[in-house]
Amino acid sequence: MALGGRESLETEVVATRDPPRVRRDQDRELVDAILRKDRKAAAEFVQVHSDSLYAYVRSRLAPRSDLVDDIVQDVFVAGLGGLSRFEGQSSLRTWLLGIARHKVEDYYRARLRRLDSLSEAGNDLETVSFANLELDASLDRAKLKERTHRILTELPEQYSVVLLWRYWERRSAKEMAKQTGKTEKAIERLLARARTRFKQLWEAS
Amino acid sequence: MDSDRFFTKLVEETDVIESESQEAPARLKSRIYSALVTHLAEAGPLLSLTATKKAGRSLCVFEAALTHAPVGERARVMNACSVCHARVLAEHLESAPIFWPHCPYAQFHRGKSV
Repeated sequence: MALGGRESLETEVVATRDPPRVRRDQDRELVDAILRKDRKAAAEFVQVHSDSLYAYVRSRLAPRSDLVDDIVQDVFVAGLGGLSRFEGQSSLRTWLLGIARHKVEDYYRARLRRLDSLSEAGNDLETVSFANLELDASLDRAKLKERTHRILTELPEQYSVVLLWRYWERRSAKEMAKQTGKTEKAIERLLARARTRFKQLWEAS
Repeated sequence: MDSDRFFTKLVEETDVIESESQEAPARLKSRIYSALVTHLAEAGPLLSLTATKKAGRSLCVFEAALTHAPVGERARVMNACSVCHARVLAEHLESAPIFWPHCPYAQFHRGKSV
């Protein structure tokens, strides 16, 4: 099953707000068993949900694959802590992906807050044009994905973080500024530099 | 194409996560399971192995032995996995040589349902 960023997650939430009874019952049964402290239910919880959470977190932390395991584990621990509040309005999977999204944003926020280089100075807002840049329709999705991932990996970390947060998680510069305590202008400036560098690497690849 | 349109299209084209092709490492699943059961046990006794079996769950050979041994209920609500060699192997090796039927760690490493 495919899942995307914020919009896709929200679409999925909407789509599963009234989950089919069978899955809803299965989710409820599993949650109740874990709350009764059934260790085998905890194992099932991990087995059923770890692959999708791992795939999501891994895609959002590129290139920091070293942090993926810790964040996925944090998601499960936070999920366990909040299970008594799970009401079944969405599927358990969607509910866990929501927690994962918050954890990923915690990481983005921490990384950008730590940066001193988000200055107001300079005049480098969008100096590069994307007019001549097209997505090569002949590239299949897997190759496009690999190329994108490679470029994100090559970018300085603050550039990949700000692009992932803005475009893959669909957050506005204003929201990012609010969450990091930076000014919107500083975020826009960082985005402009990140896009420029991304474009250079895209054209060179 | 402006930059926002370029990135929006790029995300549309590439943001497809196939969970089947991005399987979580078995070591990670093992560590997460250990962490969850530790958290459950810290908050009070686990569901006893006897009750777990009655609920229709399968027990591993060591857990099954505990339900038959004259050890008292206290031993049956403890986290037996915390002292099991399978846990240590499963948390540190990606293809751990553990094959006990109904052992969660063995099943993470075989990718089967628990």
